[in-house]
Amino acid sequence: MKNALVIAAREFEEKRFVAYAAVAFAVLPFLLAVIPGINGRSPLDTIAMSALIFGTTFAVAVAVISGASFVGRDLSEGRMSFYFSRPAGPFSIWFGKLTAGILMIVGCFGLIIVPARLAAGQHWERLVSSSTTWSVFYILSLAIALFLLAHVISTFARSRSPLLAFDFAAAVICGVSIRLMLLPLIAGDAAVIVSKLELALVIAAALAIVCGGAWQLERGRTDRRRNHLALSQFLWGTMAVVLLIAAAYVAWVVSVKPSDLTGHVRATRSAAGPFAVITGTAKGRGDYRAAFLLNSEDGTTMRLDPWAEFGVHYTRDGRSVVAPRRAANFAEILIYTRGKSEPLDTGLTVTSGDFVASDDGNRIAVLSRPNISIYDVAQKRSLTSARLPDAKYLRAFFVTPDVVRLYVTQQEGTKILELDVRARGLRETGFIASPGYLALNADPSAAHMLVRQAHSGGLTLNDARTGAPIKTLATGTNVIAARYLRDGRIVFIDGPDSATVLHVLSADGTQQRDIPLGAKKWAMFIGDDGARVVVTDVDAKAGRVFESINIDRGVIEQRQPTREWVTSGAFDLRPPIEALREVFYVDANSHIMAWNPATGAKRTITGG
Amino acid sequence: MSDTAIRISDLSVRYGRMIAVEHAALNVSRGAVYALVGRNGAGKSSLVRCLLGQQKPQRGDVALFGEDAWKRRKSLMQRIGVVTEDADAPPEMSVGAIARFCSRLYDKWDQDSVEARLRAFGVPLTSRFGSLSKGQKKQVSLAMALAISPELLVLDDPTLGLDVVARKSLFEEVIGDLADRGTTIFITTHDLAGVETFADRVGMMEHGRIVLDEDVDALKSRFRRIRFAAQPVAIDTAVLRPTVMRSWGGGAEAIVSNYDDVSFERLRSASNIGAAEVEAMSLEEIFIAIAGGNNS
Repeated sequence: MKNALVIAAREFEEKRFVAYAAVAFAVLPFLLAVIPGINGRSPLDTIAMSALIFGTTFAVAVAVISGASFVGRDLSEGRMSFYFSRPAGPFSIWFGKLTAGILMIVGCFGLIIVPARLAAGQHWERLVSSSTTWSVFYILSLAIALFLLAHVISTFARSRSPLLAFDFAAAVICGVSIRLMLLPLIAGDAAVIVSKLELALVIAAALAIVCGGAWQLERGRTDRRRNHLALSQFLWGTMAVVLLIAAAYVAWVVSVKPSDLTGHVRATRSAAGPFAVITGTAKGRGDYRAAFLLNSEDGTTMRLDPWAEFGVHYTRDGRSVVAPRRAANFAEILIYTRGKSEPLDTGLTVTSGDFVASDDGNRIAVLSRPNISIYDVAQKRSLTSARLPDAKYLRAFFVTPDVVRLYVTQQEGTKILELDVRARGLRETGFIASPGYLALNADPSAAHMLVRQAHSGGLTLNDARTGAPIKTLATGTNVIAARYLRDGRIVFIDGPDSATVLHVLSADGTQQRDIPLGAKKWAMFIGDDGARVVVTDVDAKAGRVFESINIDRGVIEQRQPTREWVTSGAFDLRPPIEALREVFYVDANSHIMAWNPATGAKRTITGG
Repeated sequence: MSDTAIRISDLSVRYGRMIAVEHAALNVSRGAVYALVGRNGAGKSSLVRCLLGQQKPQRGDVALFGEDAWKRRKSLMQRIGVVTEDADAPPEMSVGAIARFCSRLYDKWDQDSVEARLRAFGVPLTSRFGSLSKGQKKQVSLAMALAISPELLVLDDPTLGLDVVARKSLFEEVIGDLADRGTTIFITTHDLAGVETFADRVGMMEHGRIVLDEDVDALKSRFRRIRFAAQPVAIDTAVLRPTVMRSWGGGAEAIVSNYDDVSFERLRSASNIGAAEVEAMSLEEIFIAIAGGNNS
């Protein structure tokens, strides 16, 4: 320890001219502040700004220059024997020199910054957005990191050893390994883990260099090539161990299973088929978000890009899931199909916008403003494209595999257009002259649709292709949900919050049955199995619940409280082909649960 | 306490494929003056670096006062004064600063002796080390090395750059004085004439090998130059072994490496070689003869 301080003092004394230069740079901001034309509006701002620039530049320059010379130059010029001919241990020599180098960086920065900081007062705080302490910490950390890096490069380069090629290869391997390690975490939106891991790797590298420096002098002493060899062995050996540990940690983080998901769990579920996408974070795995495609029939899962939950589409026949996967600045479109263990890469990429799939998933329409294109998945080619009109809201679905219908809401109303593969053009087929957002729901054949006006609370039956009104189903009764059932019947809920009623109508809008539901603050249809309609609502007494309503008998058969509901096709523009068998919800313990609306049976999907 | 100050056994040093020292072995007793000679690139400096624990050999051991030079370098350096081949002090430091720095590292330090020696050498304390001549730098290094009253003084080519007066002063006053006081001295040099008067033992390196390691007196007593007035018919090599044989004037000159008076008389009486003149040789002449003989 004593020898290290003696050596540090000697090194410091040798470099005292650097400190004199720092004093000169400390005076410079004050001189600039009194020169007309340079000092700007506020001399204090000039002092603060120029001191920060000078201090940072000076600290970085001193770091790089002294890092490249404090050991490397002594070795290459044969002057390390000055220390090794005396009773000084290699650790004392290294840590003495290191201490002097770091103190020189910190001291010079302080010499330039402190007078300006004291003089500038509030002007300094305005200039430096974060706190002064953190700004200084970041700048000095950067300078010290450069100091250590310069030492490594200098030791390697000055040895003129062929080992340099190995070092280059090792550095490239380290860089590539880190990138490969971080990619799955970035894909899992684990920003906190990524930043902590990066910080840990930087600290580990810094420690490896600090300890490696002592090791190189212990093993290499005055021989520059042996110094190189020793530092190289220590540095890359340590980094290999650190990267293995980091890789094992990353592997553990990303190895999360669906049942591990306990935090921020979310899901979407196919309206009819067995598929669901579930995402969430797991205990001890930070903010890493895993996503799985679950086949609820057989319980099998597949890993998905966590981002897929925001772009997943379930086909109407319930057999397939179309999901995006991030790749660089675009997304690849994959199709997962029931009974197939691997997804099909459609070859289709999307940079922005949305897409919809045909009922069987064999065609995909990409709505990327200003264009719409229809792709054939099997042929992997575009069948037709057209320019989209401007729109506030844009909704679309495949009427047939050849025709995509679009509902384009503009200022004055909603235009109805169709893009036909055979006609190769976008054709306007109708218009609904009602400003604002319209809630739309088409019948299974896409011939008719329910139009609910948000502002008036009214509900009409319209021609789905032309938009022409056919029949008014409700006026001024506060319709809060409306939907076609799979068999073509219509259901809607209206009435005051204190006494809502579920109306069941035939396909032509003829009233069949009214079922009182009681006090509801909000409600939404999930789907039906032919005999029952499943509604999610906020009950005045029970809170948020799922209710299974037998529309033939007019009774609520099952009721299940939920913390959050899972969409399960609630926003689909047309009813699914298959019957609804199961719905998902998030319970009070943040577990995703499956609920059978016919029997009321529950099972745990995640967290159990 | 070991009587051996330096023990080197089976020492080998390599730089890649190049062999600097190969299977070197030598012993230096306490209080002895050992001169290691050899041509440039013979491996002397590599051997010295191993001796000082600055370089780890690929093979072999170096012990100083019975302790491993590599492992115990730090504590051994408290007892060893070193003058390296190249001036290694930082050029920006003043001579006084170097002395202050060194004084803090050693357990014992005689600042007065440093100042006295530097005065004697004519080197001011305020001088920047980098501004000194090569000889003055050596003198500064020597002053520092002697400030601890070392038990062992290692001098790696100390006369390099010294003028004739300084060289004579170094050998006669400094080293001679230290040798008289019982300090062990290990010196590598080209200046054989300088060490001849006080070296107890001499070693010679060639191509990384120690080809000679012998007491100076014994070495000098067995080497003789014999000048024959006429060309000898033949020399019985079983009696006297000529290292070098060449024409000289009308006769011949032989340098023999196993001379003794009895053998010489036997040779003379057995062979009809007529008049012969026997001369003692200096270390330098012996070195040239050995080096030349080995090269031929």
